[in-house]
Amino acid sequence: MFRSLSPAIRAALLTLIVGMVCMLLAPYLGWLQKWPASMTLPATEWIGAAVTWLVELIKPLARWGAWLLSYPMGWAAFILIETPYPLVIAAITALGWHLGGPGMALGVLAGLCFVLFSGYWVQGMTTLSLVMVSVPLALFAGLVTGIVAYRMPALRRPIQVMLDVMQTVPTFAYLTPLLLLLGFGPVVGLIASAIYSAPPMARNVLLGLQRVDPEIRDAALMNGANSWQQLILVELPAASRQMLVGMNQSIMAALSMVIIAAVIGGFDDIGWAVLLTMRKADFGNSLIAGMVIVVFAIMIDRLSSRLAEPRGGHSRKVIWGLLGAGAVMAVLAARWLPAASEIDIFAPLAERTNSALGQFTANHGATLNAIRNNAMIYLLLPLRIGLDHAIVPVMWGFGWTSAMALGYFGAAAALAGWLAWRGQILAALMLLTAAGVVKLGIAHLPWPFVLFAAGALGWVASGWRLALTAVTLLGLILIMGLWEPAMLSVYLSGTAVLICTVLGGAIGLLSAVSPAVWRVVRPVCDLLQTVPLFVFLIPVLMFFQIGEFSALLAICAYAIVPMIRYTHQGLSSTPEELVEAALASGANSWAIMTEVRAPYAAPTILLGLNQTILYAFSMLVIAALIGTTDLGQQVYLALGQGDVGLGVAAGAAMAMLAWVADRLVQAFAEEKRAALGL
Amino acid sequence: MKTAKATVLVAMAGLFATPLAAAELGAVDEPIKLAVNEWTGQHITTLIAGHMLKEAGYKVEYITAGYQNMWPAMAEGDLDAAVEVWESNVPQGYYQLRDGGRLEDLGALGLDAREGFVYPAYMEEQCPGLPDWQALAACAANFATVETLPQGRLVDYPGEWGTPGADRMAALNLPFKAIPAGSEGALVAEFKAAQSQKTPLLAVFWQPHWAITAFDLKFTKLPEGTEACYADASAGPNPDVTGDCDFLPTRVFKAAWPGLKEKWPAAHEILTNLQLSVEQQQPLMGAVDVDGRPAEQVVAEWVAANESAWRPIVDAAIR
Repeated sequence: MFRSLSPAIRAALLTLIVGMVCMLLAPYLGWLQKWPASMTLPATEWIGAAVTWLVELIKPLARWGAWLLSYPMGWAAFILIETPYPLVIAAITALGWHLGGPGMALGVLAGLCFVLFSGYWVQGMTTLSLVMVSVPLALFAGLVTGIVAYRMPALRRPIQVMLDVMQTVPTFAYLTPLLLLLGFGPVVGLIASAIYSAPPMARNVLLGLQRVDPEIRDAALMNGANSWQQLILVELPAASRQMLVGMNQSIMAALSMVIIAAVIGGFDDIGWAVLLTMRKADFGNSLIAGMVIVVFAIMIDRLSSRLAEPRGGHSRKVIWGLLGAGAVMAVLAARWLPAASEIDIFAPLAERTNSALGQFTANHGATLNAIRNNAMIYLLLPLRIGLDHAIVPVMWGFGWTSAMALGYFGAAAALAGWLAWRGQILAALMLLTAAGVVKLGIAHLPWPFVLFAAGALGWVASGWRLALTAVTLLGLILIMGLWEPAMLSVYLSGTAVLICTVLGGAIGLLSAVSPAVWRVVRPVCDLLQTVPLFVFLIPVLMFFQIGEFSALLAICAYAIVPMIRYTHQGLSSTPEELVEAALASGANSWAIMTEVRAPYAAPTILLGLNQTILYAFSMLVIAALIGTTDLGQQVYLALGQGDVGLGVAAGAAMAMLAWVADRLVQAFAEEKRAALGL
Repeated sequence: MKTAKATVLVAMAGLFATPLAAAELGAVDEPIKLAVNEWTGQHITTLIAGHMLKEAGYKVEYITAGYQNMWPAMAEGDLDAAVEVWESNVPQGYYQLRDGGRLEDLGALGLDAREGFVYPAYMEEQCPGLPDWQALAACAANFATVETLPQGRLVDYPGEWGTPGADRMAALNLPFKAIPAGSEGALVAEFKAAQSQKTPLLAVFWQPHWAITAFDLKFTKLPEGTEACYADASAGPNPDVTGDCDFLPTRVFKAAWPGLKEKWPAAHEILTNLQLSVEQQQPLMGAVDVDGRPAEQVVAEWVAANESAWRPIVDAAIR
């Protein structure tokens, strides 16, 4: 009888049984909920010792490299800061003219004037000097890695795992070892930023090379090219479009790391300015400083994307004219214009932003409080600690009784029975499991159940291999003694992913239906992805206080963007033939959306979900600044205690959770794609 | 060239001085690297110290450095000194390096730092009996939020600074639940939000800090904090535990790379003798954080107007 059920149903049934057994036994066997301390391996100590040993081993080489790198960076900083600002502005504007004509030149000029007027010119130029060294470094490393992965298929898998690790382990986790390795100074930030920004380049180089038309390759071979000539003269140029995508992504990633680099210090850059204003909860000024980073990101992105396009022969005279004007201004500036560090015309604006924020908090305090309290009482607390702990008289007006538990499970069973009767056996089993999870609370879930459920999901989605990997990784977190903070992370990120999926999906759908909505949504998405997230912590905190709800909102603000983007893109890129065919057969627009567009967009939307999951986990470290107690906080604790092992272990645990969630979703997406024949 | 000039300067100073124990200047060609950390008070102290070193004939380089991360760098001489280190939140790593002889404690700064439970002044109407700590027991419910019900809510230090708030509350048997703040910015944002709505708030905070005057914060009066109270359970109102009293005064001190003494003997002496009081630092902090003036300018004015506060220390070291 059991054999005749489908694999998914079998797995769901077993998971439910394991969950029920755990729930019944948990009150008697404490170790089901809490991994006994005596069974915890001193893994953080081992990791700490291993990392320290490794650091000592390669330190001389690393120090030499750091010393070497400090030179180009020093030169870049010297040129950018010591050159009079009118000349720098003129030169970069001239570059904009050369690459993209009047429109680009005007854009660059406006952006640089913003930086100058913000009062952060010197800090901005310091940041630019870091980016000028770290980006080429990351691009070069990415290029080499991509080529190696392409030429040596045997290495492709390990390289991809390495790229995943580089992108998912939070930078804060390895700051301390990096600092020991490279010594103090901006080079640490430079390397950290290069580690984080190289993977997009490597991935895109590999993808670009794999997509080179075989005919082009054959033509090169027939002309007698050897394999290196073939690579350099034929394949790389053919892959240049895809490589440009990687380049843009790398630049964005490098700029998003500016703040992290500043945490170490070593030089007075824009990231440091954001940190100082953050510390004073000075929203107006931190927003202005953050916008400087946004301006740089947009400017470098637009300029670099023009590199590969043919240039329309913009007049050389204009370039010389601009440089000449810059030089004249520079001479004038030396005598009459204020020094760059003395300009600060946005100060009143910052002041007004701050008072507006205070005013808003004062006027809507009661409403904001009500929102927060309701979200906490009816959603977050039950999800975290379970219904039986969350439902207490002070909040709900009544307590949780065993009669209620009976009623609750009775209702769930009745609903499941009805679903099963309609043939939806899988849905019925999942409903019962979900009911059990809500009753217990995510933070209190017995670990055997979590391990089993993850394994079952992996098995159904892809097979034994994924199941084994998922269980092994979660098991590692368990025996490292990081289970509790890890489950808190799952709870926070999971809730955020849930909200982002529903809300982001709805906004994406609306944007796909109405171009007017998309026109409003798109710039908001752009802003959310480029402004340093630290900046938004201040208003969130002032509205909703320190705590989980604020952390959740901060995570959602960042993680919702890919969901909106991919949903919109998937739904609006359905081939026209499909839509027309449906129209011809008399479908109305709602039917087209649900019957044609949605199934076609499903794989894209699932990819968006995957990105949302990764983003939600990566935000945990930043959310820790508003007082969470999960893995993100462990990373800070490790920084404070100088505990190298704990930092690396907590970072690795976060990467493992993100990786397991990501692979499970991807495997399901793959299955879905295959089922749809795409 | 610079050395010659400095030697002349020392020689000239010597003419007018009584032959006290003067230190060698040392390597005046190389800049002394002072750490600039994340908070304004530290900027002010550092700028004053830097000014004194410059007056003594040294070159000074200010280097921004993350307070939590900079200690290994100082142990290796990448940074030479940090002139405002707070015992309350200095990372464990500092003590390990100091005990290993890789960092040197240059003595107290004289900044009489105070930590405690603070509340906005308007809470005295909402919770009669404040500032006395016993009033907190009765009006814990006033401070409660959804996450802490039925207990009151105490905003504690960020996790990596330790949990002094939670420890005090437990020792004093007060019905408060401590919520870690996550960061200093988060603490200040809480004050701002509470002030604008006049909502209840109790937090662990410290003085000197510009927020104390900006948000009119008051300290709760706890049983007097003594060494005995922290060592002996019977001292203090709760006979069963230690630490059932006010915070001990936080030691604020100066720390340096141990090579400082040999490389720049006079600088070592100047930094060792450097003193700055709350009364001196607090108005300067206000000028920077509340009035929005640049710290360099504020400090330049102060050192010009208060020569008597620092000149003797410099003179004593280089004569």
